[in-house]
Amino acid sequence: MIEGDISSIGAGLAIGLGALGPGLGIGILAAKAMESLGRNPEAAGPIQQNMILAIAFAEAIAIYALVVAVIIKFV
Amino acid sequence: MSGLLGNPKILAILIIAGLVFLISLAGGALGNAFGLGFLSSPLAAIQIPAEPFLPGELFPGFTVMNTMVTAWLSILVLAIISYTATRNISEVPRGMQNLIEVFIEFFLNLAASIAGPERAKRFFPLIMTVFLYVMISNWMGILPGYGTIGWIEPAEELIHHAEEAAAHDGSEGAHPDLEGIELQVFEGDAGFGYLAFGSLKDQITAEEYEHDGGVGEGKSAGLLIPFLRSANTDINTTLAIALVAMFMVHFWGFSALGFMGHMGKFINFKEGPIGFFVGILEAISEVARIISFTFRLFGNIFAGEVLLVAMGFLLPLIGIIPFLGLELFVGVIQGFIFAMLILVFAVMATTKHGGEEHH
Repeated sequence: MIEGDISSIGAGLAIGLGALGPGLGIGILAAKAMESLGRNPEAAGPIQQNMILAIAFAEAIAIYALVVAVIIKFV
Repeated sequence: MSGLLGNPKILAILIIAGLVFLISLAGGALGNAFGLGFLSSPLAAIQIPAEPFLPGELFPGFTVMNTMVTAWLSILVLAIISYTATRNISEVPRGMQNLIEVFIEFFLNLAASIAGPERAKRFFPLIMTVFLYVMISNWMGILPGYGTIGWIEPAEELIHHAEEAAAHDGSEGAHPDLEGIELQVFEGDAGFGYLAFGSLKDQITAEEYEHDGGVGEGKSAGLLIPFLRSANTDINTTLAIALVAMFMVHFWGFSALGFMGHMGKFINFKEGPIGFFVGILEAISEVARIISFTFRLFGNIFAGEVLLVAMGFLLPLIGIIPFLGLELFVGVIQGFIFAMLILVFAVMATTKHGGEEHH
């Protein structure tokens, strides 16, 4: 029933494991940002900006994993 | 809850939404397995390199890629916007000029809060250009027509390529994997077309194509090569922006600290062996920044396109609506991040080495 290449497993593992770390990182980042928002609601603007910037850094690592997965699958 | 369902308006909306969802599900790839699939078109061929805009070479020895055309289009859009904004420039801004001024001022203030007013004015032209260009080209990439209308690469050519690749592999008795090549079927044989509703049913593999010797009168098989493709789904575009950005960052570094001042961050003999290795690590991280700039933007936009294609395949018509919103957000955020990182790196490059003050 299962069809396809064994490289599909590799692609799935690459993105699955690669998304694990950034997911945890983004969660921690957002949790800390919410915490500091609760302490200091006036600083919402800069906190949000810096949070988005930092999330982009964490997300970039997931994107690298995605690029690897796409290369395994389609190249 | 019973109160909500009792309201006939809300009940009607819920029923209509459920019906639309069911029709979409039946018309999509899942319904196709049960002989429906009247709405879905075949999954567009996903490939990483950009495709030629038109078959063959437009100029001798030079192929115009579809991502280049969209890059020119977004430049054109930006030029038109800035022309209409600055055509009747006046002391008291009105209309378009007012809107653009608010926008530019907001970002100039943001840059000034990070880099200080002096340096912000210096860095601002580059970072705003990058931001606007990346944002506009990302947003244009989700317009209808991108990736869905194009010319058709004929089936014979695809089979020929597969045979060549198999022969190139060299193992004896190598067969081209004809079963793995899925061909889309188009109405007419004009050489250009689009992915029509319900064309998923007609999809055949290259093996069947060879076996049947064609797809019949008035139809042609092949792969759709889109005329337009979001500019940042080409790694060359993002690499070019990253190289320009890092070149300017180092240019500003040299002009602010002098040649020795800026080079001293990377080749450092003053602080002993540890300082020397830290300098080498700094130099490596400069290269890593180019790579990370390139792949962050490319990966985000390419992944977005693949997501839209896959959702349009599974749930035609309604599946992509939430993801279009996500893509609008990702488009502006990626442009913002690209610009902000250039700004932060430029600030770091024009600031004296932190270590010197401690010694």
